[in-house]
Amino acid sequence: MADEYIVEMRHITKRFPGIVANDDISLGIKKGEIFALLGENGAGKSTLMSMLFGMYEPDEGEIYIRGKREHITSPNYATKLNIGMVHQHFKLVSNYTIAENIILGIEPKRRAGIFPVVDIKSTNEKVAALSKQYGLEVDPKAKIEDINVSTQQRVEILKMLYREAEILIFDEPTAVLTPQEIDFLLQIIRGLREGGKTIILITHKLEEIKQVADRCAILNRGKLIDILDVASTSTQTMANLMVGREVDFVVDKAPAKFGKEVLRVEHLTVKNRDNFPVVKDVSFSVRAGEIFAIAGVSGNGQVEIADAVAGMVRAAEGTITLNGTDITHMDIRSRTDLGISYIPEDRQNMGLVLDFTLEDNLALKTYYREPFCHKGILNHEAFSQYGQRLIGEYDIRSGQGKDTVVRSMSGGNQQKAIVAREIELASPLMIFVQPTRGLDIGAIENIHRQILIERDKGRAILLISLELDEIMGLADTIGVIFSGELLKTAPADTLTTNEVGQFMMGVKQNEES
Amino acid sequence: MRRANPITRGVLFLMGDERRQRITIPVFAILLSLIASSVVLLILGKNPMEAFVSLLRGSGILPKEAYAAKKSMLTDFLSLLNAWTPMLFASLSVAVAMRAGLFNIGVSGQMLCAGFIATVTVGYAENLPAVVAKPLVVIIGLVAGALVASIIGFLKQKWNINEVVSAIMLNYIIRYVVSFFVKATINNPSTRQSWPVTASSRLSLMDTELGGLKMDIPLGIILAVAAVILVQFLFTKMKLGFELRAIGGNPVAARYAGVNVGRNTVLVMAISGALAGLAGVTYYLGYFGSIQPDVLISTGFDAIAVCILGNSNPIGIIFSSLLISVIDKGSTYLQSSIGVRQEIGALITGLILLFSACGAFISYLVNRGRQHEEDARKLLSGAGGKEAKA
Amino acid sequence: MIYLNTVIIDGLSFAIPLFIMAIGGIYCERSGVTNLAIEGLQGMGAFVGALAATLVSGMFAADSQAPMFIAMVFAFLGGGLYAVLHAVLCVKFKANQVISGVVINILATALTTFLTSEISTALFGAASNRFRLTTSIRMTVPGLSEIPVLGAVFTNIYPFELIIILVALVAWYVLYKTPFGMHLRACGDNPHAVDAAGVEVSRVRFVAVMISGALSGLGGICFAYSISVQFSSAIYMGYGYLAIAGLIFGNWQIMPTLAACLIFGFARSGGFALTQMMELPSAFTDLFMTLPYIVTLFLLIFFSKSNRAPRALGEIYDKGKR
Repeated sequence: MADEYIVEMRHITKRFPGIVANDDISLGIKKGEIFALLGENGAGKSTLMSMLFGMYEPDEGEIYIRGKREHITSPNYATKLNIGMVHQHFKLVSNYTIAENIILGIEPKRRAGIFPVVDIKSTNEKVAALSKQYGLEVDPKAKIEDINVSTQQRVEILKMLYREAEILIFDEPTAVLTPQEIDFLLQIIRGLREGGKTIILITHKLEEIKQVADRCAILNRGKLIDILDVASTSTQTMANLMVGREVDFVVDKAPAKFGKEVLRVEHLTVKNRDNFPVVKDVSFSVRAGEIFAIAGVSGNGQVEIADAVAGMVRAAEGTITLNGTDITHMDIRSRTDLGISYIPEDRQNMGLVLDFTLEDNLALKTYYREPFCHKGILNHEAFSQYGQRLIGEYDIRSGQGKDTVVRSMSGGNQQKAIVAREIELASPLMIFVQPTRGLDIGAIENIHRQILIERDKGRAILLISLELDEIMGLADTIGVIFSGELLKTAPADTLTTNEVGQFMMGVKQNEES
Repeated sequence: MRRANPITRGVLFLMGDERRQRITIPVFAILLSLIASSVVLLILGKNPMEAFVSLLRGSGILPKEAYAAKKSMLTDFLSLLNAWTPMLFASLSVAVAMRAGLFNIGVSGQMLCAGFIATVTVGYAENLPAVVAKPLVVIIGLVAGALVASIIGFLKQKWNINEVVSAIMLNYIIRYVVSFFVKATINNPSTRQSWPVTASSRLSLMDTELGGLKMDIPLGIILAVAAVILVQFLFTKMKLGFELRAIGGNPVAARYAGVNVGRNTVLVMAISGALAGLAGVTYYLGYFGSIQPDVLISTGFDAIAVCILGNSNPIGIIFSSLLISVIDKGSTYLQSSIGVRQEIGALITGLILLFSACGAFISYLVNRGRQHEEDARKLLSGAGGKEAKA
Repeated sequence: MIYLNTVIIDGLSFAIPLFIMAIGGIYCERSGVTNLAIEGLQGMGAFVGALAATLVSGMFAADSQAPMFIAMVFAFLGGGLYAVLHAVLCVKFKANQVISGVVINILATALTTFLTSEISTALFGAASNRFRLTTSIRMTVPGLSEIPVLGAVFTNIYPFELIIILVALVAWYVLYKTPFGMHLRACGDNPHAVDAAGVEVSRVRFVAVMISGALSGLGGICFAYSISVQFSSAIYMGYGYLAIAGLIFGNWQIMPTLAACLIFGFARSGGFALTQMMELPSAFTDLFMTLPYIVTLFLLIFFSKSNRAPRALGEIYDKGKR
């Protein structure tokens, strides 16, 4: 049996303090196949593959590579076994060139006089040749900080190929890409399989699996649910197995009833620290009862628009008007008071003070108002009552209730806390940026429902998301941003997913203008 | 997965949960350093217990066997308080900044600057009555310290200059500038220090006869205790304290919540500097009475570690700064009573600070151990349950 | 003219030890570990070196230079070994690196002061708070020293200046040209990338901190020889902090840092010369001593955007966290 598999994992168990990340998992991967690992966030996919790549060692169980029992104690050893991995967060040194990143750890040497030095020149040539061979065009001398995300991903793939990896692990490789870039990547992955490589694809996106994978293992809460043949299984079945219950893909959405204009953004330009415009002359407006969604590839200026409206960054040019008041130069506190709720993209680095208790975090936007504060003195009783109420109403789960330090809570519950806090502000304008990032399907459905409830209460909602499905499912109006410019604004029902994807790549630009 | 041995389990139990560790970890660090110092003392051929007792005796916590005329335990204790006052202020100064996520490594410089300005403005004003001179010294110290430290805050909020770097630069600028003025203007050639300040401006009543005893009465200690209470109130009850803690926890989130981070950064450095200024005047116009050129006293640096030992908590700092002062003050007596060089005091202090810097690691080990224990217990009881069913 | 010569000679003999300490700092900080401990490291290095010189001095003639070279070797080793403490605290125990630096400095002062008096009592029977050192020879290169103005560079050189320049060259080569240097600099930018490339981040950082200590120790003993010809607690004059100013000024790169240290050195010796020339009281030198710090502060203000600390500086690397 074992000969058939290039990788075989038997009875793998891995515990982390407080949780069992992998519970008695056994699976085998055949040479030359694309094997997908499907599961929700926290299902244990990445942990399992990290053990194959030597980043952790299993507490129990055995790993066989090419039929031989191996103790993979380090990424180095995994590399020796011709295993390579593209991590979800790229592991690149930003001030090094592409070539330097690729050779890091296995630097070729040459002699300069009597001293051995790292041989950059021959590396540049080798990398250029390699990138041509696999259709992964890159400039070996470019620095990482100057290239975009999808090129960085190519560097990661080249890193594996340079190390002559035969077993390639991709951890959520499409999370940061546009639909077109995804297509390109999947094509490359297929190409690699043609070249005889074995591919392991970690993902929670069913379409991708359906498109490229041969077989698929489904994980749920650290346990292996099933291993399926992709061609003969429906997407619905995979989804149900992944979540462990029936999943409803369709969002129930009543027709929108637009009210008066709440937010008006005119000719907004935002510059980054290097004085480079990242938002260019953007204009749009959001009405009461409307979900205005901005679609776009990560890093095209959409977060800066949200930040500019909320006051986190300065508008270099243009005006922002909220309910008829010009707020362009208003400070953050005044904007909150005037009526803006903001659920930021980065919940841990912006939305929460992780070392504060839950009740303090829930009052983070209101602590200075009555009844929380009177003449500069805090009323702890008010904090505690308010916290208690929100925890109940929004079903926020934590170890010690309102006194839990937020750092120790799960990502989903942290997000619930932010959503609860911001919705309770009952602001006329609510900005949601990536509200469901990193959450499991149950939590996603829940937040989508809440967004729709707020819309139907007559709030104006500015939704920014990288998930096209989320935008297509929720938006009443869609604006597509590319390279800081709003290329297209149209009612959601007049656009198809494919069209939005085209705009996200900046493709239809000429046609429109 | 096995459970730990009983000794480890006992230690884990004693260290307690994260709340209790705030006390148990520093205590543990102190114990470790006492053990380490004992080893040093044993190598020197001295009895550690005897040495520790002399430290306490020298600082007026325990009675000595004999006292000179007009001296008693009380005089020793008061002179301990005299030395403790600047240390307490300095540690509070560090703590205030630390709670807002800032390192005030410039306390020594701020102390010197405040002390110098108060010395030249009030310290030599012969005719000023004490009731005017003393409050004036306090106010000048407070303002001078606040101004110097707010430069650091300003540089940080305006140009994002790391406060550690700018504070070090300012420390040395102040040190050299003050040295220049002290040497050029108020130098006492015989002591190579500045002339001592007038008794009316001095914040400690030196050599005061009271009840047949001659003692140094530090007036600053009253202010210091008041400062402890105020700082504690600031961080637990006040809106400003909430905002400062938020900045300390996550400056981006604080800004997002509408806190004016820039203004508060300057403000908290000003408060920290004001406390450092008070430390300065209670040192240079209290405990010490003059200024030594070319020297940046170590109090401001020690205070950082004292603050860590006290968990940046005003109440904790009372104990940690007192401990360091006891060692410092008692070490002189240590030399005369059992003949260990008084430099050992600084060494013990250094060891305590060293172990307290490991606090986070100890806490990490303890928490990991506790988690491991809990998992093992669950697993074992789970397995036991299964077996029972089978 | 005489003044100019003195400015150059004294400036160099101050700048060069400062430079090697700053290189040490660069090694540490480019690997991602904040180093406020240079002051303590140089003091401890100087102590070990001075102790070694004192112990061996009996074996050599009174004017022999051998003890000085032995002292340099031991200062190098002593600084490196003492730096293990900083490495353990920062790399292994994941302590706050700023606090660790402060503690290292406090402990170094306490320990060297205590040990100096203990050991000198044991050695000489009388308590003393210093180790006396032998006076270093000065060398002048014939021919080259005759060149107008620049000739001063080759006049009255301390032997340690040459040694330091050699060490600095090696340090430059290792940092920028070897795989180890490449790993080290990568650790300061993105330790996760280094880990994924199969290189042990904690080992690289550990070694970097030790190198930092060794180079600081070397700088420390050279100051002990050039400035006071003795070891005492006066070694803690704040030159370690000046080295930090130098490396920030030099943007964490070796060549610009050399320029910064030279500016500091010449500002200092120039200040001394100026006070002499204008017959000012010696206290005025104190005012000139503020120059390096003021210049660095202004530099930070005007170049705060282009001045870039290593991205992962001060960040504790936890393998488990991704």
